[in-house]
Amino acid sequence: MKSLLFRPVPEQITRLSLAFALLASGVFLVRAHAIPQTWLDREYHVKSTLEREANRPRRFAGAQACTECHEDQVKEKAEGNHRTLACETCHGAAGKHVEDPTETKLFAPRLRDYCVLCHAYDPSRPTGFPQINPALHNPLKPCIECHKPHAPVPPETPKECAACHGEIERTKAVSSHAALACTACHDAPDAHKVTPRLVRPTKPQNREFCGKCHGPKSEEKKAPRVDLAAHGERYLCWQCHYPHLPEGK
Amino acid sequence: MNEELLHNLADLSKQVWGYIYPNEIEVHWSIMIVLYPYLTGLVAGAFILASLVKVFRVKEVQPAYRLAMLTALSFLLIAPLPLLLHLGHPERNFEILLTPNPSSAMAMFGFVYLWYLMVVLLLEIWFDFRRDLIVWGRAASWPLSWFYRAASLFSNDISDAAVRFDKKAVQVITVIGIPSAFLLHGYVGFIFGSIKANPWWSSVLIPIVFLFSAIVSGISLVLLLYMVITPLRGKSLNMACIDKIASFLFYAVIVDFSLEALDFIHRLYESEESIKILSHMVTGKLFVSLFVMQVLLGMVLPLGMIVLVKTVSCSEDLRKLLYFTSAILIQMGIFATRWNVVIGGQLFSKSFLGLTTYKMEVLGLEGLLVALVVLALPLVVLAILIKLMPPWHDEDEPGPAAAGETPATPAELPAPTASAPAPAPDVA
Ligand code: HEC
Ligand code: HEC
Ligand code: HEC
Ligand code: HEC
Ligand code: HEC
Ligand code: HEC
Ligand code: HEC
Ligand code: HEC
Repeated sequence: MKSLLFRPVPEQITRLSLAFALLASGVFLVRAHAIPQTWLDREYHVKSTLEREANRPRRFAGAQACTECHEDQVKEKAEGNHRTLACETCHGAAGKHVEDPTETKLFAPRLRDYCVLCHAYDPSRPTGFPQINPALHNPLKPCIECHKPHAPVPPETPKECAACHGEIERTKAVSSHAALACTACHDAPDAHKVTPRLVRPTKPQNREFCGKCHGPKSEEKKAPRVDLAAHGERYLCWQCHYPHLPEGK
Repeated sequence: MNEELLHNLADLSKQVWGYIYPNEIEVHWSIMIVLYPYLTGLVAGAFILASLVKVFRVKEVQPAYRLAMLTALSFLLIAPLPLLLHLGHPERNFEILLTPNPSSAMAMFGFVYLWYLMVVLLLEIWFDFRRDLIVWGRAASWPLSWFYRAASLFSNDISDAAVRFDKKAVQVITVIGIPSAFLLHGYVGFIFGSIKANPWWSSVLIPIVFLFSAIVSGISLVLLLYMVITPLRGKSLNMACIDKIASFLFYAVIVDFSLEALDFIHRLYESEESIKILSHMVTGKLFVSLFVMQVLLGMVLPLGMIVLVKTVSCSEDLRKLLYFTSAILIQMGIFATRWNVVIGGQLFSKSFLGLTTYKMEVLGLEGLLVALVVLALPLVVLAILIKLMPPWHDEDEPGPAAAGETPATPAELPAPTASAPAPAPDVA
């Protein structure tokens, strides 16, 4: 058998190599001559992108821009419950307004449908976030009739825990603990309803707490008894039973 | 904030459940991006089926070999189209190829694609059809004769030695081709699997799951096409061939199913912080497309049908019916799979607190109508390809007996009539 080297190259290979060579040189030609060299330059890319972004019209003025002319509102908001919101969250992009306040007026969300974007009841919002049911909460009247938009407070301190802990209240209402008041388990000072994050209610700390009603010496007639020493061993009761919806079966 | 914007926002908030970041309300990767893995999957699958014939010399599937190759080609030609339609500036796509960015997985698509198209698929088809192209070129009249000649790169050597070389080349390319097909679709899976921030996608299993679902879809597509086209040509189906394809399909579905189940169990067991929102999504917005379409109709039912065929001896007609139905169901199931991956991954908020809704356009560039057109296009391309390059040798057809014959054995060389582009009835 003849060795591989001395065999004539099959026709297919020549033709294919030719076709590929044509294609490849085409690509290299285009790359070398037909496209702007700046395309191949990374630095240029980054620079031109930065330039392009920097040249965009600025539509927002930023959080500090309003102080100069609207000190009252800025101060009011800084101390109120909306202190974490930027002015432009509600008033929209103010870039033009800052340059010429009389020419471009800003919009103020005076109707109900804006506030509910953040305040409508939604179970995924964190515990304690002030929420209302828009259909039930003083319907038809604009929110700002009763709440100052820059420093909103409830016009009167809520009486029910449910105003802020709606989900827990609703959960408890269908549980076997429905008859228990929140205050049966939480010592909630009145100040908690005014400044909820500063003054916190107590929470049960130990097994004996639940044992008051569920232990053998309990005076609570309807509460099912368990042997505190053996039941659930050394774990806290609420590691197994959700206190606002306890299940025992 | 102007009033109009405000009302739009209030409107949008209705398609949202729970809490969601503003830029997540709209689903940006539309049905076009669903089509993309679906089409590339079909390519990879059809090619792998064809490769089985060559590498493992599965004689029974020989009648569908060339059909599978042309199917892969026609779907591959259309596969980038949905991506192009999705780009804001499709005309700039060649820039990605001229200025490669190796640090971006997405930007590499063009290269993966070109490698697969040029080095694997076109090359293998070229070697496989070269002799036929020459023969057809000699028999046809202008301008077709020029098409054939150009397609054969003006080669004109049909000696035994040259044809033997073609066959060997096909063999070699197939060996490169299988990992390349894995690369092509593994790559598409990688694009999704490597997105760390998205727990629905981020999984090392995704490329493998993609790959096997691709194999499943490609095999079932070839089975479908073979079962549709053959009767249209007035020939009878080669039962040995479809039995064999169906049993490949069966094993592929089993592997695919186990992989997906593994992925699912793994997620459940790991139970990462995203599990709550994902299970919300899976039991809510994705329930129909995941449990009903993908799992029940797309996997369990077809599996059951093929098991039935395998255990109970059925008549040929019943077998055909069951194969056909299961292949269609599997296509639908795999499409649902792609849908669930692509759309599902965008339905939940990365805050894990909310879900949005996908509203499909009907008329837009990324709408339903265009999607249907894109889905139909590969079939049109395939019809043209088949018309130009009939992938069958009539001597293969009559029955299982001839199925073993490989096309273009040197002995029958000087008889161009046997494989010349037959007159019209030959074509779908
Ligand atoms: C250069 C001073 C200046 C700055 C800075 C400025 N404003 Fe004003 N703003 C004005 C003046 C003056 C008016 C009253 C215009 C009028 O009534 O014709 C006004 C009016 C308004 C109004 C009332 C519109 C209404 O419907 O009643 C709003 C809201 C407002 N500004 C918001 C902002 C916000 C938010 C910023 C910060 C991003 C800001 N302004 C920054 C000068 C300023
Ligand atoms: C929660 C949304 C919200 C935010 C945040 C907010 N505003 Fe307002 N602002 C309003 C509403 C609503 C009104 C309309 C009040 C009215 O008509 O009584 C208003 C009115 C105003 C006015 C008109 C004068 C007035 O008091 O009625 C000015 C000026 C103003 N805002 C400035 C600001 C500035 C400056 C900030 C940032 C420090 C800010 N606002 C932040 C909602 C907001
Ligand atoms: C961008 C979201 C957002 C919008 C819009 C918004 N708020 Fe608020 N609101 C908040 C946040 C954040 C708090 C503070 C919550 C906390 O203290 O945990 C708050 C607190 C409140 C409180 C409760 C104060 C308390 O703790 O007792 C009221 C009442 C209120 N907002 C009314 C309104 C009204 C009325 C509007 C419409 C003018 C409005 N909010 C618009 C985010 C928003
Ligand atoms: C008629 C006056 C009135 C109107 C209008 C009104 N509220 Fe209230 N709001 C109250 C009162 C009174 C309370 C406290 C008592 C309670 O719990 O209901 C309260 C409580 C709230 C709280 C709970 C405060 C907390 O600390 O959790 C929020 C949030 C709130 N309102 C938002 C709104 C929003 C948003 C609107 C507009 C859609 C609105 N309110 C309209 C009177 C009003
Ligand atoms: C004005 C709204 C408001 C009212 C009314 C309110 N809470 Fe709260 N509560 C909060 C907020 C806000 C938190 C803090 C949530 C957080 O930090 O996650 C909180 C936290 C708590 C906590 C958890 C404390 C901790 O350390 O984790 C308990 C328990 C609680 N409240 C019980 C009550 C009870 C019982 C009542 C009724 C007597 C009540 N709250 C009424 C707003 C309120
Ligand atoms: C049977 C006793 C019991 C009752 C009744 C009860 N709680 Fe609790 N609550 C607990 C215990 C125990 C915890 C501590 C759970 C923990 O630490 O994981 C707790 C935790 C909380 C917390 C903080 C953790 C959380 O789940 O967000 C809030 C807020 C709270 N309770 C509010 C309320 C409110 C509001 C009511 C009335 C509607 C109420 N609770 C009624 C026993 C109770
Ligand atoms: C003030 C008394 C009281 C306290 C304190 C109390 N419970 Fe209860 N609990 C009851 C009563 C009464 C019932 C039975 C209600 C019924 O079945 O109608 C009950 C029922 C239960 C049940 C059985 C539910 C079922 O479906 O069978 C469980 C579990 C439970 N409580 C757990 C707890 C835990 C854990 C705590 C401590 C966080 C606790 N309880 C504190 C009074 C109490
Ligand atoms: C390790 C988990 C665990 C812990 C900790 C635990 N329990 Fe339970 N508890 C259970 C289970 C499981 C059941 C239901 C099966 C049974 O009756 O044993 C139950 C049942 C109950 C019942 C209903 C019994 C009946 O007869 O209906 C009550 C009441 C109860 N537990 C109270 C408590 C109290 C109070 C504590 C804290 C001292 C506590 N549990 C701690 C797991 C636990």
